[in-house]
Amino acid sequence: MSASKISARACNVFYGDTHAIKGVNVDIGSKSVTAFIGPSGCGKSTFLRCLNRMNDTIDTCRVEGTITLDGENIYDPRVDPVTLRARVGMVFQKPNPFPKSIFDNVAYGPKIHGMAKSKSDLRDIVENALRRAAIWDEVKDRLDAPGTGLSGGQQQRLCIARAIATQPEVLLMDEPCSALDPIATFQIEELIDDLAKNISVVIVTHSMQQAARVSQKTAFFHLGELVEFGDTDDIFTNPSDPRTESYITGRIG
Amino acid sequence: MTLRSKSLFAADPHIQSRKRADARFKLYGLAAILAGLALLAVLLGTVIGNGLGAFQQSYLTLEVELLESKLDKNGNRDIEEIKKVTTFGYDPLLTAAAERLIETQNIQTDLRAKDIAKLLSKSAVSDLRDFVVADTSRIGRTVSFDFLVNARVDGYLKGRVTRESIADDKMISAEQLDAVDQLVAAGALVKRFNLDFILGSDASDQRPEAAGIGTAMLGSLAMMLVVLVLTLPVGVSASIYLEEFAPKNRLTDLIEVNISNLAAVPSIVFGILGLAVFINILHLPMSAPLVGGLVLSLMTLPTIIISSRAAMKSVPPSIRDAALGVGASRMQAVFHHVLPLAAPGILTGTIIGLAQALGETAPLLLIGMVGFIASTTPETMGDALLAPNSALPAQIFEWAKRADPAFYERAWGGIIVLLVFLVAMNAVAILLRRRFERRW
Ligand SMILES: Nc1ncnc2c1ncn2[C@@H]1O[C@H](COP(=O)(O)OP(=O)(O)OP(=O)(O)O)[C@@H](O)[C@H]1O
Ligand SMILES: [Mg+2]
Repeated sequence: MSASKISARACNVFYGDTHAIKGVNVDIGSKSVTAFIGPSGCGKSTFLRCLNRMNDTIDTCRVEGTITLDGENIYDPRVDPVTLRARVGMVFQKPNPFPKSIFDNVAYGPKIHGMAKSKSDLRDIVENALRRAAIWDEVKDRLDAPGTGLSGGQQQRLCIARAIATQPEVLLMDEPCSALDPIATFQIEELIDDLAKNISVVIVTHSMQQAARVSQKTAFFHLGELVEFGDTDDIFTNPSDPRTESYITGRIG
Repeated sequence: MTLRSKSLFAADPHIQSRKRADARFKLYGLAAILAGLALLAVLLGTVIGNGLGAFQQSYLTLEVELLESKLDKNGNRDIEEIKKVTTFGYDPLLTAAAERLIETQNIQTDLRAKDIAKLLSKSAVSDLRDFVVADTSRIGRTVSFDFLVNARVDGYLKGRVTRESIADDKMISAEQLDAVDQLVAAGALVKRFNLDFILGSDASDQRPEAAGIGTAMLGSLAMMLVVLVLTLPVGVSASIYLEEFAPKNRLTDLIEVNISNLAAVPSIVFGILGLAVFINILHLPMSAPLVGGLVLSLMTLPTIIISSRAAMKSVPPSIRDAALGVGASRMQAVFHHVLPLAAPGILTGTIIGLAQALGETAPLLLIGMVGFIASTTPETMGDALLAPNSALPAQIFEWAKRADPAFYERAWGGIIVLLVFLVAMNAVAILLRRRFERRW
């Protein structure tokens, strides 16, 4: 772990009049895994979406404070969200494959960013991404089939493959294993470990075990506030806030 | 609290009454559909029963001797001189041909050959003249030519005109009908399919038998082309902007409300607007399909915008998120993902708008397309757009208001053509939609 890749300072998010994120300060390290945990509706997805400005698409949503990527404020008017999102990839909470073929789903990002020099290049990128997302064996014979025809868990892994195919510097994953069986979950966790050798990964999860297994840092959100943020080992063994303790021991949530 | 019976097989009165309600509802639905189908059958039956006659016409075959002494006095085949021979010059040829017909077919009649020649349409002479002018080498020969007969005789063969109904008719006499009976028996006078109704142009009041709807159809086609070319790009771009890019504020709300209101404005309002703007201010030609198309575009645009927006709105937002999430620009998200998914809906809206425009008569009234006698077929694309023309519904209206019942039959025939046109447009839409849907 080294210097922080993303830093948020005094971050407030409003949906119209609803105050969804309240003064959050957080530093996300490069080449590491950060886990966001907290009860449903506490604002994990909201905060995650701030990090690549996906909240721009919601008309009622307003973001205050500063969030920097490599020291540059991503909400600066000079920043093009398109460039930002190419560097900060995202796996959404609900699997949302394009209604196109499995191949095109994964190939779309590399194509628009001009990452493949030839058809075979593109095929290699797609195969590699699908392999790393642990879905290659299931789809290798039907790459032309629609991505929407896959099972929920397969769609989730397809979306992971799509996100890593563009080789982002930061990958935001919103409950990437919510529909996966234990074996696939294990494979995705291995992928996350592997990714964290080169990039920073932020993962939202409802599984304490998963947070403990994959992350180096953990942030606990509660009712829009960042209650506690620190080394994962500390949070799970020695939480400083009583709310954190009751959540991880299963008393609130 | 109701007690549930223990056994699955026992009939529960509550459930039984629900089942009866189900069955009743199904029955109502079925009855509604049957009533709809019955009405459709009545409609189609009436249209076809009344209009099919227009697709058939009666012809009398005559052996005409194209006398050189009448048509080309100097015998030098100079086309300019031949063109100078008026239709009066051809009259004697027809009388002579009728005379020969009476002899060869052995027709028993007191009528003179001139009266038999009167069975022919008023356009018979000019048809023959066109035939000669087209190829002067025919002069001097005897040719067999199928002449249109007039609407009374044609109506007699179709059963519309009877011996009773012509009692006071100055156009035709009972003796002439006697001759017609004999000619039919001899096979010289036959009723057959008439392509000229579909391809031909309108004719004057005295010649319903020669009137065709083809030119008006070209007028409609030209208008549809204008409407499609103008409204599809404008409508789709407007809806892309409103749906995907425009901020949601008072102004866009106002625009939205106004577009919905525009869709409900009576079409005649667009007609008078077209008259004021396109003709009086911009001085575009009266009765031109281009102007008709412009007016109909104004009318169709709101329909297309509304349906395109609805189609784009129904594309799940998660698809846009997915595209933006991998670093696509908003344009890319729209053109690569939203539009292909919305295309079937946009197409449906466009076809509905076009179909409405195709059947619209009222706005054409004000720009002079109703009542225009479309008697010459446009030759070039420019003519098709700028030369005065009629349109399918306008032509039908024009025929329906003329006195001769033969025109009434043609009006019904025109309705059939209009319906076929509509069905064809819908078929194209369905085919296109299939194509788009297969690509999901
Ligand atoms: N588009 C939106 N418009 C208005 N309010 C929203 C919107 N999205 C989320 N919220 C509100 O913001 C709060 C935080 O929602 P968020 O989706 O971030 O929760 P979460 O922590 O991701 O929950 P979960 O674990 O169930 O996914 C909730 O109270 C929710 O009602
Ligand atoms: Mg969430």
